[in-house]
Amino acid sequence: MDPQLTSLIVPPEEITNIDECLSRLVEDTGGNYALLLDKSGQVIAASGDGNRQDTTALGALIAGSFASSQQIAKLLREKDFRMLLQQGVRENLFIALIEDQWILTIIFNKGTHIGLVKVLTKKATEELSTVLERVRKQHKSRDDVLGSNFRTSMEDTIDLLFRD
Amino acid sequence: MAIINVGVREIHCKIVYYGPGMCGKTTNLQYIHSQVPREAKGDLLSIATETERTLFFDFLPLDLGKVRGFSTRFHLYTVPGQVLYERTRVAVLNGADGVVFVADSQRDKLQEDIKSLQELARNITKQNKNFKEFPIVLQYNKRDMPEALPTAVMDKYLNPLNWQRFEAVATTGVGVFDTLKSISKLVISKL
Ligand SMILES: Nc1nc2c(ncn2[C@@H]2O[C@H](COP(=O)(O)OP(=O)(O)OP(=O)(O)O)[C@@H](O)[C@H]2O)c(=O)[nH]1
Ligand SMILES: [Mg+2]
Repeated sequence: MDPQLTSLIVPPEEITNIDECLSRLVEDTGGNYALLLDKSGQVIAASGDGNRQDTTALGALIAGSFASSQQIAKLLREKDFRMLLQQGVRENLFIALIEDQWILTIIFNKGTHIGLVKVLTKKATEELSTVLERVRKQHKSRDDVLGSNFRTSMEDTIDLLFRD
Repeated sequence: MAIINVGVREIHCKIVYYGPGMCGKTTNLQYIHSQVPREAKGDLLSIATETERTLFFDFLPLDLGKVRGFSTRFHLYTVPGQVLYERTRVAVLNGADGVVFVADSQRDKLQEDIKSLQELARNITKQNKNFKEFPIVLQYNKRDMPEALPTAVMDKYLNPLNWQRFEAVATTGVGVFDTLKSISKLVISKL
Protein backbone atom coordinates (compact mmCIF):
# COMPACT_ATOMS: atom_id res chain seq x y z
CA MET A 1 0.00 0.00 0.00
CA ASP A 2 0.98 3.58 -0.52
CA PRO A 3 3.14 4.37 2.54
CA GLN A 4 1.77 7.91 2.63
CA LEU A 5 -1.70 6.59 3.32
CA THR A 6 -0.87 4.54 6.36
CA SER A 7 -1.31 6.18 9.73
CA LEU A 8 1.33 7.46 12.05
CA ILE A 9 1.00 5.39 15.20
CA VAL A 10 2.51 7.16 18.20
CA PRO A 11 3.03 4.76 21.13
CA PRO A 12 2.53 5.87 24.77
CA GLU A 13 6.22 5.82 25.67
CA GLU A 14 7.01 8.21 22.83
CA ILE A 15 4.23 10.53 23.93
CA THR A 16 5.92 10.62 27.33
CA ASN A 17 9.21 11.55 25.65
CA ILE A 18 7.49 14.25 23.63
CA ASP A 19 5.73 15.66 26.70
CA GLU A 20 9.02 15.81 28.59
CA CYS A 21 10.70 17.58 25.72
CA LEU A 22 7.89 20.14 25.44
CA SER A 23 7.73 20.90 29.15
CA ARG A 24 11.52 21.31 29.29
CA LEU A 25 11.27 23.77 26.41
CA VAL A 26 8.56 25.75 28.17
CA GLU A 27 10.53 25.77 31.41
CA ASP A 28 13.93 26.69 29.93
CA THR A 29 12.56 29.50 27.79
CA GLY A 30 10.18 30.78 30.46
CA GLY A 31 7.57 30.31 27.76
CA ASN A 32 3.85 29.98 28.24
CA TYR A 33 2.92 27.15 25.99
CA ALA A 34 4.42 24.64 23.60
CA LEU A 35 2.48 22.72 21.00
CA LEU A 36 3.50 19.86 18.75
CA LEU A 37 1.40 19.53 15.61
CA ASP A 38 1.32 17.27 12.64
CA LYS A 39 1.64 19.26 9.44
CA SER A 40 -2.01 18.47 8.76
CA GLY A 41 -2.85 20.68 11.75
CA GLN A 42 -3.62 18.00 14.31
CA VAL A 43 -2.35 18.44 17.83
CA ILE A 44 -0.02 15.65 18.94
CA ALA A 45 0.99 17.06 22.31
CA ALA A 46 0.86 20.29 24.27
CA SER A 47 2.50 21.62 27.39
CA GLY A 48 2.22 24.68 29.61
CA ASP A 49 -0.60 27.02 30.53
CA GLY A 50 -3.56 24.69 30.07
CA ASN A 51 -6.13 27.45 29.86
CA ARG A 52 -5.45 28.15 26.23
CA GLN A 53 -8.85 28.39 24.71
CA ASP A 54 -9.18 26.38 21.61
CA THR A 55 -6.12 24.26 20.97
CA THR A 56 -7.82 22.50 18.09
CA ALA A 57 -8.54 25.69 16.15
CA LEU A 58 -5.10 27.03 17.09
CA GLY A 59 -3.50 23.92 15.59
CA ALA A 60 -5.46 24.24 12.35
CA LEU A 61 -4.56 27.92 12.00
CA ILE A 62 -0.87 27.55 12.82
CA ALA A 63 -0.45 24.63 10.42
CA GLY A 64 -2.36 26.56 7.76
CA SER A 65 -0.27 29.67 8.10
CA PHE A 66 2.92 27.63 8.19
CA ALA A 67 1.95 25.71 5.05
CA SER A 68 1.06 28.96 3.36
CA SER A 69 4.42 30.50 4.32
CA GLN A 70 6.09 27.48 2.73
CA GLN A 71 4.23 28.22 -0.48
CA ILE A 72 5.54 31.77 -0.28
CA ALA A 73 9.05 30.37 0.15
CA LYS A 74 8.59 28.28 -2.98
CA LEU A 75 7.47 31.28 -5.00
CA LEU A 76 10.54 33.18 -3.81
CA ARG A 77 12.69 30.16 -4.69
CA GLU A 78 13.72 30.04 -1.09
CA LYS A 79 14.74 26.57 -0.01
CA ASP A 80 14.85 26.89 3.73
CA PHE A 81 11.85 28.66 5.19
CA ARG A 82 11.75 26.44 8.22
CA MET A 83 10.96 28.91 10.96
CA LEU A 84 8.36 31.56 11.49
CA LEU A 85 8.09 34.30 14.09
CA GLN A 86 4.88 36.14 14.83
CA GLN A 87 5.12 39.09 17.18
CA GLY A 88 2.19 40.27 19.23
CA VAL A 89 1.81 43.00 21.81
CA ARG A 90 1.99 40.65 24.78
CA GLU A 91 3.20 37.41 23.34
CA ASN A 92 5.32 36.05 20.53
CA LEU A 93 4.88 32.87 18.63
CA PHE A 94 7.80 30.91 17.27
CA ILE A 95 7.20 28.07 14.83
CA ALA A 96 9.72 25.51 13.58
CA LEU A 97 9.42 22.59 11.21
CA ILE A 98 10.57 19.09 12.13
CA GLU A 99 11.51 16.80 9.24
CA ASP A 100 8.74 18.11 6.98
CA GLN A 101 6.22 16.27 9.11
CA TRP A 102 5.74 17.95 12.46
CA ILE A 103 5.46 21.57 13.52
CA LEU A 104 6.75 22.78 16.88
CA THR A 105 5.24 25.98 18.25
CA ILE A 106 6.26 27.91 21.31
CA ILE A 107 4.36 30.88 22.73
CA PHE A 108 6.37 33.16 25.00
CA ASN A 109 6.19 36.58 26.61
CA LYS A 110 7.79 39.71 25.23
CA GLY A 111 10.25 39.52 28.14
CA THR A 112 11.96 36.38 26.84
CA HIS A 113 14.88 36.87 24.50
CA ILE A 114 14.12 35.58 21.01
CA GLY A 115 17.69 34.39 20.55
CA LEU A 116 17.34 32.06 23.51
CA VAL A 117 14.04 30.73 22.20
CA LYS A 118 15.61 30.02 18.82
CA VAL A 119 18.54 28.12 20.29
CA LEU A 120 16.42 26.05 22.67
CA THR A 121 13.79 25.37 20.03
CA LYS A 122 16.46 24.11 17.68
CA LYS A 123 17.67 21.73 20.37
CA ALA A 124 14.11 20.54 20.95
CA THR A 125 13.47 19.98 17.24
CA GLU A 126 16.56 17.77 17.11
CA GLU A 127 15.31 15.66 20.01
CA LEU A 128 11.85 15.46 18.52
CA SER A 129 13.15 14.46 15.12
CA THR A 130 14.87 11.49 16.77
CA VAL A 131 11.52 10.55 18.31
CA LEU A 132 9.77 10.97 14.97
CA GLU A 133 12.37 8.76 13.31
CA ARG A 134 11.70 6.00 15.86
CA VAL A 135 7.92 6.38 15.46
CA ARG A 136 8.22 6.04 11.70
CA LYS A 137 10.43 2.97 11.91
CA GLN A 138 8.29 0.88 14.23
CA HIS A 139 6.09 -1.60 12.47
CA LYS A 140 2.96 -1.83 14.51
CA SER A 141 -0.07 -2.71 12.48
CA ARG A 142 -3.36 -0.98 12.98
CA ASP A 143 -5.02 -4.15 14.21
CA ASP A 144 -2.40 -4.53 16.96
CA VAL A 145 -3.34 -1.14 18.26
CA LEU A 146 -7.04 -0.74 17.55
CA GLY A 147 -8.27 -4.31 17.54
CA SER A 148 -9.86 -5.96 14.53
CA ASN A 149 -13.43 -4.88 15.28
CA PHE A 150 -12.57 -1.21 15.31
CA ARG A 151 -13.66 -0.57 11.76
CA THR A 152 -17.17 -1.97 12.15
CA SER A 153 -17.71 -0.11 15.44
CA MET A 154 -16.47 3.05 13.78
CA GLU A 155 -18.85 2.62 10.86
CA ASP A 156 -21.78 2.24 13.25
CA THR A 157 -20.80 5.42 15.04
CA ILE A 158 -20.52 7.28 11.75
CA ASP A 159 -24.02 6.15 10.73
CA LEU A 160 -25.40 7.18 14.09
CA LEU A 161 -23.86 10.63 14.23
CA PHE A 162 -23.65 11.84 10.66
CA ARG A 163 -27.29 12.35 9.80
CA ASP A 164 -29.86 15.12 9.70
CA MET B 1 -1.63 11.47 7.50
CA ALA B 2 -3.97 10.06 10.10
CA ILE B 3 -2.50 9.99 13.58
CA ILE B 4 -3.18 7.24 16.07
CA ASN B 5 -2.02 8.56 19.40
CA VAL B 6 -1.85 5.46 21.56
CA GLY B 7 -0.72 7.42 24.62
CA VAL B 8 -3.85 9.50 24.98
CA ARG B 9 -5.89 7.06 22.88
CA GLU B 10 -6.90 9.44 20.15
CA ILE B 11 -7.31 9.14 16.40
CA HIS B 12 -7.23 12.17 14.11
CA CYS B 13 -8.20 12.31 10.45
CA LYS B 14 -8.26 15.26 8.06
CA ILE B 15 -10.86 15.55 5.29
CA VAL B 16 -10.73 18.36 2.72
CA TYR B 17 -13.61 19.63 0.55
CA TYR B 18 -12.13 20.64 -2.80
CA GLY B 19 -13.73 22.08 -5.94
CA PRO B 20 -14.16 25.17 -8.10
CA GLY B 21 -15.30 28.56 -6.80
CA MET B 22 -18.93 28.82 -5.64
CA CYS B 23 -19.63 25.11 -6.04
CA GLY B 24 -20.92 24.86 -2.45
CA LYS B 25 -18.03 23.62 -0.29
CA THR B 26 -18.62 26.10 2.52
CA THR B 27 -22.36 25.40 2.35
CA ASN B 28 -21.64 21.69 2.98
CA LEU B 29 -19.76 22.50 6.19
CA GLN B 30 -22.39 24.99 7.31
CA TYR B 31 -25.09 22.38 6.88
CA ILE B 32 -23.10 19.73 8.76
CA HIS B 33 -22.43 22.21 11.54
CA SER B 34 -26.12 23.03 11.82
CA GLN B 35 -27.16 19.39 12.18
CA VAL B 36 -24.54 17.55 14.21
CA PRO B 37 -25.35 17.36 17.95
CA ARG B 38 -23.59 19.99 20.04
CA GLU B 39 -21.35 17.61 21.99
CA ALA B 40 -19.94 16.25 18.73
CA LYS B 41 -18.83 19.48 17.13
CA GLY B 42 -16.56 22.46 17.70
CA ASP B 43 -17.03 25.96 16.30
CA LEU B 44 -17.05 26.42 12.55
CA LEU B 45 -14.10 28.64 11.78
CA SER B 46 -14.27 30.53 8.48
CA ILE B 47 -11.60 32.76 7.04
CA ALA B 48 -13.47 34.54 4.28
CA THR B 49 -13.57 37.76 2.31
CA GLU B 50 -16.21 40.41 2.95
CA THR B 51 -18.30 38.84 0.21
CA GLU B 52 -18.33 35.45 1.95
CA ARG B 53 -15.93 33.80 -0.48
CA THR B 54 -13.45 31.56 1.29
CA LEU B 55 -10.08 33.30 1.55
CA PHE B 56 -8.06 30.67 3.37
CA PHE B 57 -10.23 27.84 4.66
CA ASP B 58 -13.24 26.80 6.69
CA PHE B 59 -12.54 24.44 9.54
CA LEU B 60 -14.98 22.23 11.43
CA PRO B 61 -13.74 19.77 14.06
CA LEU B 62 -16.04 16.80 14.69
CA ASP B 63 -15.66 14.59 17.71
CA LEU B 64 -17.15 11.13 17.34
CA GLY B 65 -16.63 10.25 20.97
CA LYS B 66 -15.00 7.03 22.11
CA VAL B 67 -14.99 4.10 19.74
CA ARG B 68 -13.45 0.96 21.22
CA GLY B 69 -11.59 3.13 23.71
CA PHE B 70 -10.25 5.61 21.19
CA SER B 71 -11.49 9.20 20.94
CA THR B 72 -11.93 9.80 17.25
CA ARG B 73 -11.80 13.20 15.60
CA PHE B 74 -12.48 14.22 12.05
CA HIS B 75 -11.29 17.63 10.98
CA LEU B 76 -13.16 18.99 7.99
CA TYR B 77 -11.65 21.73 5.85
CA THR B 78 -12.68 23.55 2.69
CA VAL B 79 -10.27 25.14 0.25
CA PRO B 80 -10.87 28.52 -1.40
CA GLY B 81 -12.14 27.67 -4.89
CA GLN B 82 -11.28 30.83 -6.79
CA VAL B 83 -8.56 30.25 -9.40
CA LEU B 84 -6.40 32.95 -7.81
CA TYR B 85 -5.88 30.89 -4.66
CA GLU B 86 -4.16 27.81 -6.06
CA ARG B 87 -1.20 28.02 -3.66
CA THR B 88 -3.54 28.39 -0.73
CA ARG B 89 -5.28 25.20 -1.79
CA VAL B 90 -1.94 23.40 -1.76
CA ALA B 91 -1.40 24.61 1.81
CA VAL B 92 -4.82 23.47 3.04
CA LEU B 93 -4.53 20.10 1.31
CA ASN B 94 -1.33 19.37 3.21
CA GLY B 95 -1.61 16.09 5.09
CA ALA B 96 -5.20 15.32 4.05
CA ASP B 97 -6.40 11.75 4.56
CA GLY B 98 -9.33 12.07 2.18
CA VAL B 99 -10.99 14.51 -0.19
CA VAL B 100 -14.57 15.30 -1.12
CA PHE B 101 -14.56 16.76 -4.59
CA VAL B 102 -17.59 19.03 -4.92
CA ALA B 103 -18.58 19.63 -8.54
CA ASP B 104 -21.03 22.30 -9.66
CA SER B 105 -23.72 20.58 -11.75
CA GLN B 106 -24.58 23.63 -13.84
CA ARG B 107 -23.85 23.16 -17.51
CA ASP B 108 -21.63 26.22 -17.81
CA LYS B 109 -19.53 25.10 -14.82
CA LEU B 110 -18.40 21.77 -16.24
CA GLN B 111 -15.20 23.24 -17.63
CA GLU B 112 -14.29 24.68 -14.21
CA ASP B 113 -15.09 21.35 -12.55
CA ILE B 114 -12.75 19.54 -14.91
CA LYS B 115 -9.93 22.05 -14.42
CA SER B 116 -10.28 21.93 -10.65
CA LEU B 117 -10.21 18.14 -10.61
CA GLN B 118 -7.07 18.11 -12.76
CA GLU B 119 -5.46 20.54 -10.36
CA LEU B 120 -6.42 18.31 -7.42
CA ALA B 121 -4.75 15.35 -9.11
CA ARG B 122 -1.59 17.40 -9.62
CA ASN B 123 -1.53 18.63 -6.04
CA ILE B 124 -2.03 15.18 -4.55
CA THR B 125 0.69 13.75 -6.74
CA LYS B 126 3.00 16.57 -5.61
CA GLN B 127 2.53 15.36 -2.04
CA ASN B 128 4.04 12.04 -3.17
CA LYS B 129 0.71 10.29 -2.96
CA ASN B 130 -0.77 8.01 -5.57
CA PHE B 131 -3.84 9.82 -6.91
CA LYS B 132 -5.50 6.64 -8.14
CA GLU B 133 -5.40 5.13 -4.66
CA PHE B 134 -6.16 8.29 -2.75
CA PRO B 135 -9.51 8.27 -0.87
CA ILE B 136 -11.87 10.51 -2.85
CA VAL B 137 -15.65 10.86 -2.94
CA LEU B 138 -17.49 12.92 -5.55
CA GLN B 139 -20.44 15.20 -4.91
CA TYR B 140 -22.51 16.63 -7.75
CA ASN B 141 -23.96 19.69 -6.08
CA LYS B 142 -26.66 22.16 -7.11
CA ARG B 143 -28.90 19.44 -8.53
CA ASP B 144 -31.81 21.86 -7.99
CA MET B 145 -30.58 24.21 -10.70
CA PRO B 146 -32.58 24.12 -13.95
CA GLU B 147 -29.38 23.93 -16.01
CA ALA B 148 -28.05 20.92 -14.10
CA LEU B 149 -26.30 18.46 -16.40
CA PRO B 150 -27.45 14.83 -16.51
CA THR B 151 -25.33 12.80 -14.10
CA ALA B 152 -24.25 10.47 -16.91
CA VAL B 153 -22.58 13.38 -18.65
CA MET B 154 -20.82 14.45 -15.47
CA ASP B 155 -19.69 10.88 -14.80
CA LYS B 156 -18.12 10.75 -18.20
CA TYR B 157 -15.94 13.79 -17.55
CA LEU B 158 -15.39 13.65 -13.81
CA ASN B 159 -15.58 10.05 -12.71
CA PRO B 160 -13.37 7.83 -14.85
CA LEU B 161 -11.96 6.28 -11.66
CA ASN B 162 -15.42 5.25 -10.50
CA TRP B 163 -15.42 6.91 -7.11
CA GLN B 164 -18.53 6.82 -5.01
CA ARG B 165 -20.59 9.80 -6.01
CA PHE B 166 -23.62 11.58 -4.61
CA GLU B 167 -26.12 14.06 -5.95
CA ALA B 168 -26.63 16.99 -3.62
CA VAL B 169 -28.37 20.25 -2.89
CA ALA B 170 -26.11 21.57 -0.17
CA THR B 171 -28.35 24.52 0.69
CA THR B 172 -31.12 22.18 1.84
CA GLY B 173 -28.81 19.39 2.96
CA VAL B 174 -29.74 16.82 0.32
CA GLY B 175 -26.82 14.39 -0.07
CA VAL B 176 -24.57 16.24 2.37
CA PHE B 177 -24.47 13.54 5.05
CA ASP B 178 -24.36 10.69 2.52
CA THR B 179 -21.21 12.28 1.17
CA LEU B 180 -19.71 12.78 4.62
CA LYS B 181 -20.49 9.23 5.71
CA SER B 182 -18.94 7.81 2.59
CA ILE B 183 -15.65 9.71 2.84
CA SER B 184 -15.40 9.04 6.59
CA LYS B 185 -15.76 5.31 6.10
CA LEU B 186 -13.31 5.34 3.24
CA VAL B 187 -10.72 7.15 5.35
CA ILE B 188 -11.26 4.79 8.29
CA SER B 189 -10.81 1.80 6.01
CA LYS B 190 -7.34 3.10 5.10
CA LEU B 191 -6.12 3.86 8.62
N1 LIG C 1 -29.22 26.58 -5.77
C1 LIG C 1 -28.20 26.13 -5.05
N2 LIG C 1 -27.32 27.00 -4.53
C2 LIG C 1 -26.29 26.52 -3.78
C3 LIG C 1 -26.14 25.13 -3.53
N3 LIG C 1 -25.04 24.95 -2.76
C4 LIG C 1 -24.52 26.18 -2.53
N4 LIG C 1 -25.28 27.13 -3.14
C5 LIG C 1 -25.05 28.59 -3.16
O1 LIG C 1 -23.89 28.87 -3.93
C6 LIG C 1 -23.18 29.97 -3.40
C7 LIG C 1 -21.72 29.61 -3.13
O2 LIG C 1 -21.67 28.63 -2.11
P1 LIG C 1 -20.39 28.44 -1.18
O3 LIG C 1 -20.66 27.28 -0.30
O4 LIG C 1 -19.99 29.70 -0.55
O5 LIG C 1 -19.30 28.05 -2.30
P2 LIG C 1 -17.76 27.66 -2.07
O6 LIG C 1 -17.53 26.42 -2.87
O7 LIG C 1 -17.43 27.62 -0.65
O8 LIG C 1 -17.05 28.91 -2.79
P3 LIG C 1 -15.53 29.45 -2.57
O9 LIG C 1 -15.38 29.69 -1.12
O10 LIG C 1 -15.40 30.70 -3.35
O11 LIG C 1 -14.62 28.39 -3.08
C8 LIG C 1 -23.93 30.39 -2.15
O12 LIG C 1 -24.76 31.47 -2.47
C9 LIG C 1 -24.74 29.15 -1.78
O13 LIG C 1 -25.93 29.48 -1.10
C10 LIG C 1 -27.11 24.22 -4.09
O14 LIG C 1 -27.05 23.00 -3.94
N5 LIG C 1 -28.10 24.79 -4.85
MG1 LIG D 1 -16.07 28.60 0.49
